[in-house]
Amino acid sequence: MNGIQILLIAAVVVIMFFYIVRLRSAIFDLIILTIFSGMAIFFILFPEYTNDIARKMGVGRGADLLFYICIFFFIFIILKMFARIRRLESTLTELVRQQAIKEAQSQSAEYKEEGK
Amino acid sequence: MGSTFILFMSNLINTKSVFIVVPAYNESRTLQLVIQQLLAHGYTPVVVDDGSAKNLKSFVPTASAFFIRHKVNLGQGAALQTGISFALEKNAAYIVTFDADGQHDATNINELLQILIETKADIVLGSRFMTGSVHNMPGKRKRLLKLARYINYFFSGLLLTDAHNGLRVMTIAAAKKIQLRENRMAHATEILSQIKKNKLKYIEAPANVLYTDYSRQKGQTIWSSFRIFFDILLNKVFK
Repeated sequence: MNGIQILLIAAVVVIMFFYIVRLRSAIFDLIILTIFSGMAIFFILFPEYTNDIARKMGVGRGADLLFYICIFFFIFIILKMFARIRRLESTLTELVRQQAIKEAQSQSAEYKEEGK
Repeated sequence: MGSTFILFMSNLINTKSVFIVVPAYNESRTLQLVIQQLLAHGYTPVVVDDGSAKNLKSFVPTASAFFIRHKVNLGQGAALQTGISFALEKNAAYIVTFDADGQHDATNINELLQILIETKADIVLGSRFMTGSVHNMPGKRKRLLKLARYINYFFSGLLLTDAHNGLRVMTIAAAKKIQLRENRMAHATEILSQIKKNKLKYIEAPANVLYTDYSRQKGQTIWSSFRIFFDILLNKVFK
């Protein structure tokens, strides 16, 4: 085991630990997380296997395959983020709008009462 | 005699029941004058302060005009929708959208209202490019709007002579159907999409646009048109 492997495995373990402790503890998430972390540690320890998979798919190196997958993964994440931001925005808009209208209503009611 | 003549001329509209939605964001320089002009015509202005840095309430005579303030800045589309929702709650008869930067002509409102009633349309859209309207637009902006026209057509299916005009007059039925969800400037295209979707009867009418150094500064730049385009795209992708 060389330096980079220790570093990467430590990172995976820390991320996994952080996720379990801080964020979610639903059993489904835990299973998915363990599988992914297990796979990550496995490929860190035996990187030559990624080359085998890559060659089967017609890509030269395992690192290249990972790079291509990452690109699409990040595009997917970005789109999800956009969708989430838009949902958040519409919730915020609705809240601000209701509050603004309510305030304006009460003010105009006050004005009417003063008029009497 | 004089008043009956005016009533006849204005097709028996009670101008008080015509609500003018004026979205304003830091428009302290022009807002006061715009509101005064609207009040002089007897309309009911609904100013929507879209979270301006300095509260615009002091520029609005709250005895004769409504004032709504967003706590945070959401964008012109959101401000318009707030004003429209409010006007509907206040039982307006007609709803007009009007820019706060002083580029529109308050005398055009009555003309557009007449057209709305005569043609029994649901919504009348102001156009600075139709004959009968006056505008002093710089050439660069003119070309940009020409392009925007076709982009709007591509996304909404309506080919108008003027793509981004803030002056619109609509009936209550139309205002109830139009639900703006685009907070920023893409609402102009969204309105067209909703006109098409709800099969509203629309018509364009000439409306003057006066460009001042101030409105040029506040108005849209080439860069913001990219932003609008991106928002429209997102709207189509995510609905």
